[in-house]
Amino acid sequence: MGKQSYIVFQGITKTFPGVKALDDVSFSISAGEVHAIVGENGAGKSTLINVVAGNYHPDSGQLEIKGKQEKIRNYAEALDMGISVVYQERSLVPNLSVAENIFADRQPRTFCGFINKKKMYAESEKICESIKLDVRPNTLVGNLIPAKQQMVEIAKALSNDSELLILDEPTATITENETEILFRVIKELKRKGISIIYISHRLQEIFNIADRVTVLKDGKYVGTRVISEVKVGDVIRMMVGRDIYAEKYRSSLKEEKVLEVRNFSSKKFHDVSFELKHGEVLCFAGLAGAGRSEVARAVIGADPLEEGEIYIHGTRKRIANPEQAIENGIGYLPEDRKEQGLFLEMAISKNIVSGNLDSVSKNQIINEKEVQRVSEEYREKLRIICPSVTTKVKQLSGGNQQKIVFAKWLLANPEILIVDEPTRGIDVGAKAEIYRIIRELASQGTSIIVISSDLPEVLTLSDRIIVMYNGTITGELTRHEATEENIMHLASGFERKEEMMV
Amino acid sequence: MTTLENHIEGRFSVGTVIRSIIQNRVLFLILLIVLLSLFAGTTYDTFFTQANLKAVILNIAIDSIVSVGMMILLVSGMFDLTVGSVLGFTGAIAALCLDKLGMHPSLAVLIAVASGVCIGAFNGIIVAKVGVNHLIMGLAMLGVVRGIILLIIGSGIHRLPVEFLNISDGTFLGFRLPIWYMVVIALFFAFMLRKNNFFRRYYYIGGNEKAAAFSGINVPMMRIVSFMISGGLSGIAGVILTAKLAASIPTLGTGLELRSITACILGGASLAGGYGTILGSFLGVLFMGLVNNLMIVSRVAISWQSIVVSGILLIAVTIDALLKKSEQ
Repeated sequence: MGKQSYIVFQGITKTFPGVKALDDVSFSISAGEVHAIVGENGAGKSTLINVVAGNYHPDSGQLEIKGKQEKIRNYAEALDMGISVVYQERSLVPNLSVAENIFADRQPRTFCGFINKKKMYAESEKICESIKLDVRPNTLVGNLIPAKQQMVEIAKALSNDSELLILDEPTATITENETEILFRVIKELKRKGISIIYISHRLQEIFNIADRVTVLKDGKYVGTRVISEVKVGDVIRMMVGRDIYAEKYRSSLKEEKVLEVRNFSSKKFHDVSFELKHGEVLCFAGLAGAGRSEVARAVIGADPLEEGEIYIHGTRKRIANPEQAIENGIGYLPEDRKEQGLFLEMAISKNIVSGNLDSVSKNQIINEKEVQRVSEEYREKLRIICPSVTTKVKQLSGGNQQKIVFAKWLLANPEILIVDEPTRGIDVGAKAEIYRIIRELASQGTSIIVISSDLPEVLTLSDRIIVMYNGTITGELTRHEATEENIMHLASGFERKEEMMV
Repeated sequence: MTTLENHIEGRFSVGTVIRSIIQNRVLFLILLIVLLSLFAGTTYDTFFTQANLKAVILNIAIDSIVSVGMMILLVSGMFDLTVGSVLGFTGAIAALCLDKLGMHPSLAVLIAVASGVCIGAFNGIIVAKVGVNHLIMGLAMLGVVRGIILLIIGSGIHRLPVEFLNISDGTFLGFRLPIWYMVVIALFFAFMLRKNNFFRRYYYIGGNEKAAAFSGINVPMMRIVSFMISGGLSGIAGVILTAKLAASIPTLGTGLELRSITACILGGASLAGGYGTILGSFLGVLFMGLVNNLMIVSRVAISWQSIVVSGILLIAVTIDALLKKSEQ
């Protein structure tokens, strides 16, 4: 590297209970470069940002900033060193002005202690001008388009005299046209000598804007490449290629169509059509934010739908809420099991029967003995490890919690089951058991949709794979055609083979 | 050996016993009620007389009935601030039907209770379907309904037929009828909330509303029903109280909403939802009634009642919060 390094990571390791989030990661970022960091979900990107921002403290390893070893204890210290992070979730207050947002924590004051509006506006204008952002400082942030809000967020970070700007998925919530505006600003910043760490799932963007790219995989450093010297395919190959679970399951699908979704459209996805067969496991692959969960939620009537039809066994149905979905034989295991799937403060047994209280009731009266018996049955069947079925769910590990959500749906016994990220945050052993449960259900005739961002998981479980990108279906693969590479290509928004060769 | 001994000691030590009693609000309340009664019994020989105890129970009948509805709402994670106004309103409607329209008492009672259910349904629909916060909805309706009472009965209605007054004045097996109404309503809903598959869903909704919806529970419908129950029970209480006082007074039921919520929280409910039993709400009301009675018997200024009850509420929830914090 001809250029001087701004920040050097030396053997950074960070362990969380059960996972090595970062494992001996070493690389450097030069002054004034746009450095992309890519990797699958769980590769360690967010952990790395949090280490730089001082939110996490590495177990071992060093950070060197401008040639000096530094310890960053918290975000305030990071800011002092000139490091700012623009997170995915915007930290702006929509009903305050641009200037007030930029100076949220340190408005300039007049000598008697009041906010010096004149000075605040003047300085905001200067900062916005410096990144060629044309907004008036007194505009309310809520009235700006998402991309400009993102710019204001960047302006806020810059007002702190940053030398390193970390952008975490900056384009996740903005449209493609708006991305242009963002890229203009990034180029402007680069010209000023500011280093940028650019985290994104979208490889296309990275090839547009970054100088170099570093690939992480399962917390390990894979390599750093100069963008002008590599192809998309090379980067994808670096990202994937993990050990696949050896066990492959025998398909149990029959030709009979159970579910058919036609031309589903809403604000989050566009013209999605697919069908599901009896006993089939259909995986929806794609990156976070591709619109897969949104489609699932629309199918069960939890999210509004603008257009589209749904057929079950060839008959058109209207599903307005999850209750009607269950009446029509569709169950849904939500992505966030703690927030949406479990009653954490309640006993295991009460969680298990929550989806089908009628099955344990006689004449509208709940039979506690039956609740107990059913819970014990599923505890054994799914090997839920717990002191007793009256234990509160919040005291269990993630894997056991997920098994309880499965137990609940096994009891409800829907014909169609939609499972959203079934193994997120679950250790390897429990993962294998969850896979076994899913395949067993399919072999008993349940039709299953699995939404997963974990490629080996998709390849292990599926009979068929649908890949989504940015709210549309970009491709469909059978289990025989599918490889991690071609799924990743589709998931990154490359539709045709030719483009892959770029 | 030592670890075993430690273990046993840990289990039965005074600290853990006290801890578990305080954390179980029902046990805590029973203990308080027993202590309070013993103190009252030894200090005032009029306390343990049949007449006094019957008076205590009769006095808590109205609050107990209203608190049953409040408890169901609190289990689901909400509360109803309109109970006091609805109580006054239904009493006014009954009085109006009897006095101005000359209706048969049973028809008047039916219309009065139905009007309570209707206000509950309105509250429930606006909260559950439209999405207005239940606290704000309660604040608004509390004022609106109280205003309507003043509009329709002015300074009050005092001429009520004897058949209507009998609703409250009659006795059965030596107890005044309001006590029986309370017992029947409390037992019925206590059983339902414990055993019935429909009512059991309120615990799921209070525990995690989103998860409940994904489990196929029709949350908006359940919420509307809970507000209707609260409105209906307030209506029943309004009729009983109006009959007991032999008059409809425009201020009837003011402050009841906060008293009822206090009793339920004392009885183990949480504003976040998911916890609480009808037994708890009853014990909460009973405790407050006992304190009230003690104040009267001992001729202490009645203002002390709210200080004592609220003080104990504050102590109970503070200890609870501290224990939860120390667990983490």
